[in-house]
Amino acid sequence: MSTLREVELRPVGELVLEPRTASRSEAPLEQALRRLWRNKTALVGAAIAGLLILVAIFADVLAPQNPIASDQTHTFERPSRDYPLGTDQLGRDMLSRIVHGSRISLAVGVSSVLFALFIGVPLGMIAGFYGGRVDTVVMRLMDLILAFPIYLLAIILMIIFTPTAGLIGTIKVVGAIAIVRIPIYARLVRGSVLSIKEKEYIEACRALGVRDPSVLLHHILPNCLAPIIVTTTLGIATSIIVEATLSFLGLGTQPPTPSWGWDLKANVAFIHENPWLSLFPGLAIFVTVLGFNLFGDGLRDALDPRLK
Amino acid sequence: MRTYILRRLLQIVPTVLGITFVVFLMMRSVPGDPVVALLGDAYTEENAAQARHTYGLDKPILVQYLIWLGKLVQGDWGTSILSGRPVLKDVMVRLPVTLELIVLSMGVALIIAVPAGIIGALRQNTWADYTATSVAMIGVSIPEFFAGVLLLLVFSLGLHGALPSSGWVYLPGTCPMMVCGVSFLGNLQHVLMPAIALGIGRAALLTRLLRASMLEVIRTEYVTTARAKGLGERPVVLKHALKNALIPTITVMGLQVGFLIGGAIVVETLFAMPGLGTFGIDAIIARDYQQVQGFALVTAFAFVVINLVVDLTYSFLDPRIRYA
Repeated sequence: MSTLREVELRPVGELVLEPRTASRSEAPLEQALRRLWRNKTALVGAAIAGLLILVAIFADVLAPQNPIASDQTHTFERPSRDYPLGTDQLGRDMLSRIVHGSRISLAVGVSSVLFALFIGVPLGMIAGFYGGRVDTVVMRLMDLILAFPIYLLAIILMIIFTPTAGLIGTIKVVGAIAIVRIPIYARLVRGSVLSIKEKEYIEACRALGVRDPSVLLHHILPNCLAPIIVTTTLGIATSIIVEATLSFLGLGTQPPTPSWGWDLKANVAFIHENPWLSLFPGLAIFVTVLGFNLFGDGLRDALDPRLK
Repeated sequence: MRTYILRRLLQIVPTVLGITFVVFLMMRSVPGDPVVALLGDAYTEENAAQARHTYGLDKPILVQYLIWLGKLVQGDWGTSILSGRPVLKDVMVRLPVTLELIVLSMGVALIIAVPAGIIGALRQNTWADYTATSVAMIGVSIPEFFAGVLLLLVFSLGLHGALPSSGWVYLPGTCPMMVCGVSFLGNLQHVLMPAIALGIGRAALLTRLLRASMLEVIRTEYVTTARAKGLGERPVVLKHALKNALIPTITVMGLQVGFLIGGAIVVETLFAMPGLGTFGIDAIIARDYQQVQGFALVTAFAFVVINLVVDLTYSFLDPRIRYA
């Protein structure tokens, strides 16, 4: 309505090219971005996710102390000015551990999903596009992974990889979660490709002699992007939960590397005397997952408003 | 219908075999040797070779699997390498605890999700709807173990130990051992927090799903017809709309079994419950091959059977769905 008024109030004769609201010629991407921008909860989610990414990047600057340095003279300190979130049984500053723990959660959440995406999407595209025996082999393999309860597979994979500390330990967790998530992308993309490849414009491409890789990459992939983007954003939230769960079971990145799931588990034993020690790492996991879930939900509504 | 059920029941066999075989292969590729843990200080090359021979670990992997399978057909689930106890006995002792936990958690999920989903859909874009969807979003973002910690803080610490923070009391008549705590009230007190911790995430997910499918269903013509012919709101919603809206919800509930098994491992660990979840994770970490096989067998079986039950529920909810 406001745009209509703006257009009407212009002096007669002035060139009116583009009213500011959605016009018929507006690209679908612009429309989606406009819908996303109007969705306040999605913006809150994006802000939380963005803030956490910044915290993870600048953890060295933001953390007041070394997250793995123990101080036996300051064990189980209550939250105070010196230790805003208290200290644990080894006298380590909880705020510093939570700030640094964001790196593991976000690194595993984002990398495992990207890893699964880069393997699962091509597999699903090839299976759906070529069909026949390729499809059977790829999809039966995916079905085999999907037949497993997700946590059972991730736990056994972590036992095979042997959990360790540091970067290598983190890469192992990324690998275990990615393997579990590959079939999700393969199935999703295969389904989309099966319907898209029957469209007339794909037939036209083929008739014009466009090669298969080019058809897949330039004509089919762009049309599968919306569900891939939504699955990826919501998948980060799930992966963060799986990482925290593995850490909680003692199978994630090993100490002394700070990890929210591990810190929560380690401090549950002291919950009667020092409840905040379990509370803060749990809250950190919750807020991060909530951020990505809110943003993912908003993206889904923006990219496919029919689903709202 | 009967042919379909029979065919699906037959399909359970290869799926369960596939899962147990893959688990068998994966566990054999885990670094470490259970014989080392078994022998401890008594470890010598000679003793280790003897122990491996006793447990058949010196044979090729495929032969080991076939031996395990052959014994399984005869009702022998094998004997734990580390504890020396029959695996079937251990599984039977622990299975009721996990079953009770999972069934109650699904009950908790449904008690919350069905009214919340219906109210959310019927009063779309009102405060009731916003509350239902916001609480559901919070629910899906809370991992089971953090929900458990919050419940511990409120009910175990905040209310001066109103509910016990760990352990287990069996229902009367279900004590699987010579001596165990038995009490109906005690059982309820012990299972309440774990069931809520496990059910809350599922409740949130089902609320979102049920709300979305109810929104779709209440706009269909047959619901308008039901209203037009003078039916009250209650039968329209409960008899006509809810039944159809439940179909996708039931599908997701079936798919959630995998998550529930994982969730049971976590919740049982947090509340120190003697269930199948703690049995499985302890066996996997200790590399107790026979126990892991037993755990994988039960898990795979539960997974496929529940998916079959879900498929069969469709035709009850929607008589148009017929299986040939």
